[in-house]
Amino acid sequence: MLKRILSVIGASAMVASAALAQSGTTVSGRVTNTAGAPLAGASVFIPSLNVGTQTNDAGRYTFVVAGNRAAGQTVALTVRVIGYTAASTQITLTNGRDITENFTLTSNPLRLGEVVVTGAGTETTREKLGVTINTVDSSAIRRAANPQNLVSGLAAQAPGVEVRTQSGEPGASADIKIRGGSSLSGTNQPLFVVDGVPIDNSTSSTTGGQGSTVSANRASDINPDDIASVDILKGSAAAAIYGARAANGVVLITTKSGHSGPTRYNFTTSTNVDNIDTGNLKLQTDYGQGGGGVTQVCTKPNCVMNSNSFGGKLAAGTPTYDHLNEIYNTGYTFDNNLSVSGGNDRTTFYASGGVTNQDGVLVGPQNKYNRATFRLKGSEQVSSTLRVGGNFNFIDTRGNYVQKGSNVSGVLLGALRSPPNFNNLPYLNDLGLQRPYRFPNPTSVQALENAGYYDNPFFVLNSPGNKSELNRSIASFNADWNPLSWLSFNENLGADQYTDSRLEALPITSAGNAAGTVTRNDFTFLEIDHNLTGTAKHTFGDNFSGTITVGQNLNSRRDRNLNSNGQQFLSPTPLALQNTVSQTSSQNESLAHIESYFGQATADLYNQLYFTLGVRNDGFSTFGASNRRSNFPKASAAWNFTHAMGIDGKGVLSYGKLRAAYGETGKEPPVYGTITAFSTGSTFGSGYGDGINTLFGPGGIVSGFSQGNNALRPERSKELEFGGDFGFFNQRADLSITSYNKQTSDVIIQVPTSAAATGYGSKLENGAKLSNRGIELAFNVRPIETQNVSLQLGTQFAHNKGNVDNLLGAEFIGLGGGFTGANGSATVGYAPGVIRGSDFIRCGRGLKLDYNGSGVQDIDALCAATPGGYKKNALFLGADGLPVPDPTDRVIADPNPKYTMNYTASLKLWNRFTFSGLLDLRKGGNVWNGTEGILITKGTSALTDVRGTTNGQFGVNFDTKTYPYTAGPGVAVVPFTSQAKWDSWFAGNGGGFGPVGEQFVEDGSFVKLRELAVTYTLDAAWLNHVVGFTSADIRIAGRNLHTWTKYSGLDPEASLGGAEFLTQGFDYFNSPQTRSFVVSVSLNR
Amino acid sequence: MIKPWKIASVAALAVLGVAGCTGDFLSGGQLTTDPNRPTSATAAQLVGGVQSNLWSLWGSDPARVTGMWAQQFKGLISQYVSLYQYAHDETTTNGFHTGLYAGGGLVDLAKADSLAIKGNDKHTLGISQIMEGALMGTGADIFGDLVYSQALQGKTNPTLDKQQAVYDSVQKVLSAGIANMASSNPTDVGPGSYDQVYGGNPASWTKLAYTLKARFYMHTAKVDGLAAYTSALANAKLGLNDPSIDYKGVFQASPLAETNFYYQFNGPAGRGGYMGIDPQFINLLVTRNDPRLSDYIDTTADYVSATRNAPDYQQTYVSAAENLLIWSEAAYRTGDPATALTKLNAARALAGLGPDVAAAAGGQALLTEILTEEYINDFQLGEEAWNLYKRTCFPNLTPTVSNLKMPRRLYYDSGERQTNTNIPDAGTGVNGSFNQLDPSATTSDGGGACLDQ
Repeated sequence: MLKRILSVIGASAMVASAALAQSGTTVSGRVTNTAGAPLAGASVFIPSLNVGTQTNDAGRYTFVVAGNRAAGQTVALTVRVIGYTAASTQITLTNGRDITENFTLTSNPLRLGEVVVTGAGTETTREKLGVTINTVDSSAIRRAANPQNLVSGLAAQAPGVEVRTQSGEPGASADIKIRGGSSLSGTNQPLFVVDGVPIDNSTSSTTGGQGSTVSANRASDINPDDIASVDILKGSAAAAIYGARAANGVVLITTKSGHSGPTRYNFTTSTNVDNIDTGNLKLQTDYGQGGGGVTQVCTKPNCVMNSNSFGGKLAAGTPTYDHLNEIYNTGYTFDNNLSVSGGNDRTTFYASGGVTNQDGVLVGPQNKYNRATFRLKGSEQVSSTLRVGGNFNFIDTRGNYVQKGSNVSGVLLGALRSPPNFNNLPYLNDLGLQRPYRFPNPTSVQALENAGYYDNPFFVLNSPGNKSELNRSIASFNADWNPLSWLSFNENLGADQYTDSRLEALPITSAGNAAGTVTRNDFTFLEIDHNLTGTAKHTFGDNFSGTITVGQNLNSRRDRNLNSNGQQFLSPTPLALQNTVSQTSSQNESLAHIESYFGQATADLYNQLYFTLGVRNDGFSTFGASNRRSNFPKASAAWNFTHAMGIDGKGVLSYGKLRAAYGETGKEPPVYGTITAFSTGSTFGSGYGDGINTLFGPGGIVSGFSQGNNALRPERSKELEFGGDFGFFNQRADLSITSYNKQTSDVIIQVPTSAAATGYGSKLENGAKLSNRGIELAFNVRPIETQNVSLQLGTQFAHNKGNVDNLLGAEFIGLGGGFTGANGSATVGYAPGVIRGSDFIRCGRGLKLDYNGSGVQDIDALCAATPGGYKKNALFLGADGLPVPDPTDRVIADPNPKYTMNYTASLKLWNRFTFSGLLDLRKGGNVWNGTEGILITKGTSALTDVRGTTNGQFGVNFDTKTYPYTAGPGVAVVPFTSQAKWDSWFAGNGGGFGPVGEQFVEDGSFVKLRELAVTYTLDAAWLNHVVGFTSADIRIAGRNLHTWTKYSGLDPEASLGGAEFLTQGFDYFNSPQTRSFVVSVSLNR
Repeated sequence: MIKPWKIASVAALAVLGVAGCTGDFLSGGQLTTDPNRPTSATAAQLVGGVQSNLWSLWGSDPARVTGMWAQQFKGLISQYVSLYQYAHDETTTNGFHTGLYAGGGLVDLAKADSLAIKGNDKHTLGISQIMEGALMGTGADIFGDLVYSQALQGKTNPTLDKQQAVYDSVQKVLSAGIANMASSNPTDVGPGSYDQVYGGNPASWTKLAYTLKARFYMHTAKVDGLAAYTSALANAKLGLNDPSIDYKGVFQASPLAETNFYYQFNGPAGRGGYMGIDPQFINLLVTRNDPRLSDYIDTTADYVSATRNAPDYQQTYVSAAENLLIWSEAAYRTGDPATALTKLNAARALAGLGPDVAAAAGGQALLTEILTEEYINDFQLGEEAWNLYKRTCFPNLTPTVSNLKMPRRLYYDSGERQTNTNIPDAGTGVNGSFNQLDPSATTSDGGGACLDQ
């Protein structure tokens, strides 16, 4: 049946090939590696005629050269496949004669002869590269821990590319940083380019990323199954061709194409079974709801209950509830993809359709993510000199989300704060009103309106109205014109357009707004990009050849956002604006243009020395009027020294290349950053969400908080990188090392200005400086390579040291993403994106302050007066034996890892079984465990079980791990002699609502078993006869199977605001990653 | 074979063709004009904008924090527990200090002033000056020393004026405002309906200005003593004399951003339950059998009353009652107990209370009653209740944490500290919890030793 359907789908293409097969030359054969194993997916083609095909899983190929083109001429037949050295042979095409040509390819793990896309219409071969470009192939992305999002798929695939997925909830964003952060505004995400067309990869939550719901990064709309390969331009030298958009690197995505030859089909279906890994988080089950050791029971209507679990010890047998695990269940993801591709000597096509249905791990029907995509890509050789192509991709992404994070309707917030003895089910009472644990017996909506509470997690899980519906089209037209053998032109005209309709509603009785509220947020985006290049090449004798490319890029980006908020529902449903008593709206739109020219020259000398020189002249409408244009130069050199020494392919060192590169890239100023404007918002922000606008009556206006600057220039990153690529023992092992030094200047920051002196809190200015220095290493070894057994082991290592060198005189600037008391910042002397907050008073910091209202005192002197003196950073204890908050705002956490590593292993047996594994390691990188801080205050954390003890003393038997040393007047005092004393400490300075954020900072190091998989390849003849497919891959895998970490929260990777914020490392009531079991079947023909 | 020159010319034409239409590809229209934000404002709009900001200063978080310290409110959960226990730092106050100067603060009053002067509109100018006095006077209450005489001059590291000097300047700008309100040129059109409280009425603004002068003179009495009370008395006599012209925040039921702060805080902002009424304040009202108990407090939940928690509750920030009580206390302090009693009872009458029996005894009893009435009248006016306490140690509150003293001031914003070397580091005593000139009182004006010692 399936066979018949596929026949129909491919009918036209097959008819075409059948017609051609009547006369002409049939070329066929087999492609194997040196060990005799078949090579699937190899391209076998005649370049001069542009005709060819790909090998099947058995390594076999066959194609026909039409009779009218086979005129007895001798042509080159070339075979290429990733990971092997390309080979070529001469064949003579004679009408009616069949040619059989077998190839044995030598392994080329360094992929030296492969074409690498270097951006903006340029390409080269890998051996000539003087810069680092990491290529990730499609299978790696499909195997990734979260394959629905291609950015998540890049995790642990290339050294120096750090990916963090926001949470395990469907549709969560993934943050990607390449070689640290190069900017202090925005989020340091690289530029994404698909088939030459820049696409949007922004992340916008509907109502603010600390709360709201998870939100997708927009590159996740691309169907990973359509991707042929991803090239990551990491450094400025590699990315300079993209000028002022490339400071954070460029991710070049190439989608799959059709090849001439028989029509090929691929159908892949995979089923993921997802569950949650709750990590090390522990909740107590010993004490009930209440305060002061007294358990509170709700006996009357509208009783207001204690929000904490500092009640009495629960009697034996009292039922308790697992408030963490009860909100999760098993999630499922179904992913189905069908592609058909093929073509003839003039025309190729690739058509695909993919559907992903994800039902997330949270209980209830409201965490779903569905994506349907289709793509049609084709090309036509119009004449011998002109080839035109088109590429159309349509995407429909829909999600239902659940309120999360810092938000009284956040699902984990309500769940984990629930007392152990409170049953959150049923979540509605007999009157149909919500039953939150702090107000469990409401009699009316009005009663709830006047009460304070957190939403019952099951109420949240069953609340509809958090949705995103996105339609997106990415289309392009391209033309290659080669009018002369030495001259070619390439035009790429593309557009990326989407409309994302968001709805976020808190229904009636929601904690955040008992009267109910709904926000409609519509994002529309349009980017049009034109990129024209002309390339001339010339060969001067045997030892010198070169190319010159000039190009033009025009780009227009239009962003619109319409936000409407309705308050107070008239009737419980519908969750729509017209069903509310009052509405407010705002619109935000922007338009930005780019007009740029670039040039690049390359020179190849003696097949061993390769030079590239280039410059891009950028004009951006977002640059200030006085700095409308900017230049971004680059230069690189590569030297194949083993070729020079004549030892290529031989001996211990079988390949060696040294490279050096320098390049400059930039980042454009924010749109309209040149303008100082008025606002209707108030400067006073209380930090607690109550605020006022100025619109009373006919409408007042006040000055904006920040001053614009009409002299803004692009930020500029200057990066020098050195490295080498080496092969050993005839490429049985390979090593790649790169070190880089990236100095970024002219960084644009909101410089805090003295409001008293200027009337503005900040001003946008160029001039901050930061730097990133690092080293990247990749090592692979293939100890066994026989016909039946091949084993490959690999490891990658990356270390980046970021540093904010200068903030135009400021000590730090806020970057947001967190909370008062633990918030993102750029601080001089630290990597970008460190967390600032307060600590307790510590010894040895030279503090002189008034800690108890009796005048300024020298803390170190008080520490020194302690018997036995003090150790640096010892916790200072006041006379009552308690630590004292230090009011100074300081850096308390650095979420940037010290280094990252991964290990891969792949074992292939009898060309049938492939076993593979991936271990991902992150060393260092702090996480602020805000969740634990709050759960201590609320008394639900297992750490509060200590309340039952009467000898609690800092550094002796309490918090000894965090504070191994203490000093000060209270060093011998036992402050916690009763449950009441514990309670008041947890409710105050010892808890998450207290002023000291530092006490909840932890080391976020981890090792994660990302993948363990076995694939079985079946290509028996019966498969073709029965189901019409020539081969099948059956794959069973586990993803994120285990995490080894000392982190005490849910997941050290958790990221509250996801890719929406520069500063990572905030854990605040957000879901951890999921653990998945996958079965996938891929059928090929 | 195509001729190379043909190809070159086609290619050149293609490039030029695209480039040719790019003469203004990078500027003009929405490329360089902000389609989202206005770039001009009138004096009336600015005055209207600053006015709502002033309500934030008097009604939002600064009032809640100081109201908790004055033990009219109590932090029950979350961050408010720590705040109630005096835990505060630079981040507690982020925005309050900046708000004195930036958008909605002095910067816009300066713009309004120059536009009003250009239009020869002395009423708008006068209102702007009175608002300036209100803003900076409250700033001095909260922060002590402030940049004022060197404000908005673009100077690097502007110097701080001493708190006392700030109050002096506030008196001057209020007087200038009063003088301008007396003008009656045809060009004195005032802000009209942009002023939602008084509709630009010169008489009401003048009375408000006198009451503000009296209020700020009272705040200097700890240092200036009798002279301050004498000045306060003189100004109170010209101040707000009728509850119908009490200065109120004109909140309305919707939209959300124009609703009362207590409603927002307890409702849509999700902070319900953070802050209840302090038991000692409830006891005070219960003991005195004060009818304001039910107006102020929902005693079933020990929470601010439903009336005062309503989105459109128009909270009073400066009132005839306050004016009468200042008059009463100032009269007492300057040796006129008879007037003091009369004005006290007049203030009580506004609250529906009969003549004060205890006060009739005069002496300490009269003073205690006046201070008690002031304290009760200051409900929800956190800064005023707190200032009363700072000046008099009345009521004689027990600190919420036994070994700590009640903070006398808030920290400057860290943003300001970073950009002005004259702002001392946090925790050094100067930028700490006490003003240099504002030490704890040793005795309570209600009698006995001050418990906060």
